[in-house]
Amino acid sequence: MAYTAQITRANPTLIVFLLDQSGSMADPFGAEQGARKADFVARAVNHALHDLVIRCTKTEEVRDYYHVAVVGYGRAVGVGLGGALAGFGVAPVSAVADNPARIESGYRRVPDGAGGFVEMPVRFPVWVHPQAEGGTPMCRALGHVREILEGWLSAHPRGFPPTVLHLTDGESSDGDPGEAGAAVMSLGTDDGRVLLFNCHVSASRSRKVEYPSEESQCPDGFARSLFRISSTLPKNFLDAAQQLGVTAADGSRGFVFNADPSSVVQFYEIGTSLTGMAPHIWMEE
Amino acid sequence: MSKGCRVETRHFMLPKEGSTAEECEDALAFDAGALRFAVADGATEAFDARRWAERLALEWVGAVRAPLTAREFGAWLGEQAAWLHASWEGRTLSWYAEEKRRAGSFAAFAGLRLEAAKGRVGWRALALGDSCLVQRRGGETVAALPLSNHEEFGSTPPLAPSSESLRAAALSRLVEAEGRAEPGDTFLLATDALSAWYFEALARRPEAAEEFDSLLAASDNESLAALVRRERAALRMRDDDVAALRIRLLPA
Repeated sequence: MAYTAQITRANPTLIVFLLDQSGSMADPFGAEQGARKADFVARAVNHALHDLVIRCTKTEEVRDYYHVAVVGYGRAVGVGLGGALAGFGVAPVSAVADNPARIESGYRRVPDGAGGFVEMPVRFPVWVHPQAEGGTPMCRALGHVREILEGWLSAHPRGFPPTVLHLTDGESSDGDPGEAGAAVMSLGTDDGRVLLFNCHVSASRSRKVEYPSEESQCPDGFARSLFRISSTLPKNFLDAAQQLGVTAADGSRGFVFNADPSSVVQFYEIGTSLTGMAPHIWMEE
Repeated sequence: MSKGCRVETRHFMLPKEGSTAEECEDALAFDAGALRFAVADGATEAFDARRWAERLALEWVGAVRAPLTAREFGAWLGEQAAWLHASWEGRTLSWYAEEKRRAGSFAAFAGLRLEAAKGRVGWRALALGDSCLVQRRGGETVAALPLSNHEEFGSTPPLAPSSESLRAAALSRLVEAEGRAEPGDTFLLATDALSAWYFEALARRPEAAEEFDSLLAASDNESLAALVRRERAALRMRDDDVAALRIRLLPA
C-alpha cells in the first residue's frame, strides 16, 4: 500500500516549499495593517519550518527525518532559503535548524494546562524572506522542482515520497502548468508517487474551495488546471486535515483555491503533518 | 523477599528498530523485597525524556513511601520535576533545544505495589498515560489499567509532565486501582506498543499472547526480541521501544 512507509533517519522524506514570489504577492493580505501576501506567506513558511525542526528535535539533537528545499519564483527561479543555506538545493532538517538567516525574539501564547494561556518568550528563526517581484514562471519553477526531486530520489529511492507544497496567487505567465506538474507527479519512491499540493491565495472575497474531490467544484479554468496537478490526499494527510476541522474526505485533492489566511496556515499544517515523531498536544498553540 | 509474599520477576526491554539500547526511552524498575514495580515511557518528542522516564520508575520504586494516590503522586511528581529541571540549569542551548526544554519533559507511567497482610495479598496501582498493568489468573484477565483494549490506544495519551503548569490537568487523568491477588497470579507491566499488541493478541490470537508469556516467564529474551521483531515486521506491533515487567505471585 502506498504512502505507508515509516519516516526514519535511514529513510527520510523530502518537503519542497514552492513559493510564488511574483509582483502581485505585494498585494495586501490578512488582517494586519500593511501586511502583504508575500509577508504572510513567508511567515507561514518560517513557522512551518520551525515546527518541522521542533518535531524532529530530540533533546539537543535534530534528527534528520526530513530534508527540505525552498524554491521561489518570480523575477527568477531559485532557491529560497537564506543565510548559510542560500546555495543549497536540499538541506537536511538539522542543517535548517542550525542555519536560520536570523533569529527574532518575541512572545507566544501557550496553553497553561488549566484551560488558559500564558505568554512565553520565544525565539523565531527566519529562513525565508518575503519577495514580490516579476512574473509568474510557474512551468519553469515546476521544472526546477522536478530537477531537485530527480537528484534527491536517485539517492533516496525508498521511503515516504517527497511532498511539494506549492503556493501561488495567480495564473502562470509561462504557459499551462499541466505538463510540468504531471512530470513532477510522475516521479516517486517504492512507497508512492511524489505528492504535489497546491494552494492558491486570494485577497478577494471570492468563495474559497478547499480540498475538492471533483473538478466540477472548481470555479474556473485556472482552478481546474491546478486541480489536475494536485495529488489526492493520502489517508495520513486526510487524518491531519480532519483533526484540524477541515472538510476533506476520501478522494479530496491537496488543493485550496481562493485561500484566505487561515486556509494558508492549515495548508502548511496539513502538508507537513507527517513526521517520524507523532505531534503531541503540548506543541499546539 | 517480603514477609508473607514471594514473587518471581522477569523483565525485557528492546529499543525501536534502528535505535541502540542507549537510545531506548522506556524504563523499568522493581524492588522484589519492597514489592514495588514500575514502568515508564519517555515521550520521544520531549526534552530529556529518557532521564525523566528512568527517574520516575526508579524513584517511585525506591521512595520511602510509595505515592499511591493522586495527591501523593502529584506532590512526588513535583519533587521529581524539580530535580530534573535543576539538572538543566546553566546550560546554553540552541533555539530549538531551548524551546523543547521550556516545554519540559513527559512520560507515561504505571506503578504497582503488592501488599501482604493476614495471609492475603492485595495490590494497589496507579497509571498515567498508556503504559499498562494487566493481572492474569488461570488464563483470564482479572484486571487491566489504565487501558484494557488495543483500540483505546491513541497518539496523544495523557502523560506525566515535568512542567508545573501542566501538572494539575495531567493528574486529573491519573487512574488508581486496587484488588486482590492469589498465588499463581501474574502481573504484566508494559509500555504502550507492547500493551496494545498484548491486548489485541489476547482478544484475537491468544496463542501469540501465550507464546509471549511463556518466553518472558522463561527469561528467553533472545526469543522475545525475535517475537517482537516478527510482530513489528508484520505490522501487528507498532515499532516503538518496548519494556515489560512480569511479576508472578508464588505460594507463601
